[in-house]
Amino acid sequence: MANKHTNAIVVGAGAGGGIVAKELATAGISVVLFERGEWPNYDEHPNDELISQRSEVLGSPFGPDHLKNPRVLVRKDGSRQVVTPIRGGYGNNAACVGSGTVSYGAMAWRFMEEDFKLKTVYGAVEGSTLADWPISYQDLEPCYEKAEWEIGVSGDDTQNPFAPPRRKKQPMPPFEYNQEARVLLEASKRLGMHPFPLPMLRNSIPFNGRAGCIRNRTCCGFACPVDAKNGTQNTVIPVAMATGNCEARTGCMVVEILVDDHGRATGVKYFDRNNQPQVQTADVVVVSGAAVETARLLLNSKSKLFPYGAGNNYDWVGRNLMGHAYTGAYGLFDYDLLDFAGPGATVAWCDFNHHNPGIIGGGLLANEFNRLPYLYCGVRPPGAARWGKEHKEFQRNQYHRTAQVVGPIQEMPMFESRVTIEPRIKDFWGTPVAAMSGERHPLDHEHCKFLSAKAEALLREAGAYQTWQSVGGQGGPSGGQHQNGTARMGNDKRTSVVNQFGQIHEIDNLFVADGSVLPNGGGFNPALTIMAIGFWVGGHLAKNFAGTKFK
Amino acid sequence: MTEPSRRSFIRSASLACGSVLLLPSCRQQPGGYRFFTAAEAACLVAFCEQIIPGDESPGATDAGVIWYIDRQLSGVFEYDRESYRNGLKNLQSLCSVQFEKNFERLAFPEQTTLLKKLEANQLTAMEWPTGKPADFFNLVRSHTMQGFYGSPIHGGNKDYVSFRMLRLDDPLVIGQNRYRT
Repeated sequence: MANKHTNAIVVGAGAGGGIVAKELATAGISVVLFERGEWPNYDEHPNDELISQRSEVLGSPFGPDHLKNPRVLVRKDGSRQVVTPIRGGYGNNAACVGSGTVSYGAMAWRFMEEDFKLKTVYGAVEGSTLADWPISYQDLEPCYEKAEWEIGVSGDDTQNPFAPPRRKKQPMPPFEYNQEARVLLEASKRLGMHPFPLPMLRNSIPFNGRAGCIRNRTCCGFACPVDAKNGTQNTVIPVAMATGNCEARTGCMVVEILVDDHGRATGVKYFDRNNQPQVQTADVVVVSGAAVETARLLLNSKSKLFPYGAGNNYDWVGRNLMGHAYTGAYGLFDYDLLDFAGPGATVAWCDFNHHNPGIIGGGLLANEFNRLPYLYCGVRPPGAARWGKEHKEFQRNQYHRTAQVVGPIQEMPMFESRVTIEPRIKDFWGTPVAAMSGERHPLDHEHCKFLSAKAEALLREAGAYQTWQSVGGQGGPSGGQHQNGTARMGNDKRTSVVNQFGQIHEIDNLFVADGSVLPNGGGFNPALTIMAIGFWVGGHLAKNFAGTKFK
Repeated sequence: MTEPSRRSFIRSASLACGSVLLLPSCRQQPGGYRFFTAAEAACLVAFCEQIIPGDESPGATDAGVIWYIDRQLSGVFEYDRESYRNGLKNLQSLCSVQFEKNFERLAFPEQTTLLKKLEANQLTAMEWPTGKPADFFNLVRSHTMQGFYGSPIHGGNKDYVSFRMLRLDDPLVIGQNRYRT
């Protein structure tokens, strides 16, 4: 029996998709919200570091199934390797309702004004497709506010002199500093830095009908056992469903966007939870699968007017794949400073996001999330033993005496860093998989060196007797959990994929609302910005939709 | 029981359970090993003990790391089965040629010296016929770290020994605000 026609389809119930579904449903527009995963189960994999979003050694806690969803990594020498979610280089995002917003560290950053116009501020970068956004921070500001209040953010931007302008404060008070933060605080001020409490998408007080945070030490990479971590699965998606206009259709793998001979999207083809092929028709389709899967879906959706994939007549779909190289430093102290109040990251500095001499952009610095035992096995100064008694002694003696300051660097977009389709490798449902290829821009590593040096200087000033840097930004391509860039927003259809409203150039009823549309990823964790994009695209759609009502 | 009989009883019991010097509990897994033969396990137990030796806190053997590796090779790590079969075979052949003894019977410092050679790929193709010794070394090293420092539900870290060494509460207490100002 065929599915009933719906006004809107949203593909992917993550940071962007969940919000679009809510904006549409509350405006009386019928929505089918597709999600290949399931509703997250908070009782599975509690405190299991080896099955967590940060260490997928034995599995991905929220999927996808590691046997059914391969990807391909293309190496510098052209050789190709099939990778799975648990075998390195895959760049996994949680496949469940809420996606990464279930398990993330939940830092809640607004991009700065400069992040929307890097080319104007810094000039063109040779070898990079660096460009301004077609929208400004001011355009997105009301959407950041909605994200902060409807999803729920704890913070106090008045303490951050670099914070962009805002009309309304964050809804919940900031979290307290932990001991590691207090050790770094005064030292950072002596160095002329401006510390402030990390804004978080977590409840510092009971909010929205759910508990306040209990400082669980296994937080980043895990679902919250008391549901105090805010995502789309426990905020906007239930709101959407409560209207009666939104159906969350889980366990369904969307494999193609159907585009007719006139260049109009008519719906999607998907496999239901019994692996049967189905079709769902709609007046409008919104893609929110995150940078790798969104690009893959667009590229796999060929039609008469778009033989290279939906919206891909100019070969920009899948291009400019970015993420965040993480870079920073460690310090050893001669006293215990680990209080293990989770999640462990409490203080941040935006002194190095912009206007650093000779650096384009930059990145935030923060004390890092708690290092769990297996991860800590790799935390060693250069030259330290990798195994044996010395390695074990370091683990035992230094575990409570190590501090880490780290941050995400603003990456330079590269045209050749991209997602393509590998036609010879198919997933469980027979759909060709995504292949990631390309290299980072050489400036990424230089910028990482700069930021790591700042982190190391801070740890020294704070009294660490030994420090060492951990410098990222080499190899490539980028991607990972902060993946973005592959369906760039722009005014010119020849050098972008979507327009300023997330609408695919030349396919009026096909939209993208996830990290794919970001022309650059900022020197910030991108989740709040992706949520703002969800409100931006969803709001635009809801206001301009002129279709029939569906009940 | 007379002296010789008791000695032979202990020796045969050791061979049945694994290592000559250290005895990981056979009752940790009903039915014994799923993948390893007793001989392979004896070698691997000694290898893992080199990676994380017992000192003032328990090491890999007492933590039952062998049970973690054995279990995962029947599951998620099925791709590594060949590597373990070949790697352990290569290691024993090498020891039998160079020392006329199995790896697990070498003195501790001798084992360390040999493993450093594996780690640095300092063996000829004659000495290590299949694959690269460093690849096998790194595989065992990673798995040992996982089995020792990961959650006990995966077969290793018996009785949370590594968490106790790290002064972490075990099991993790949920439901309280444990933060002290």
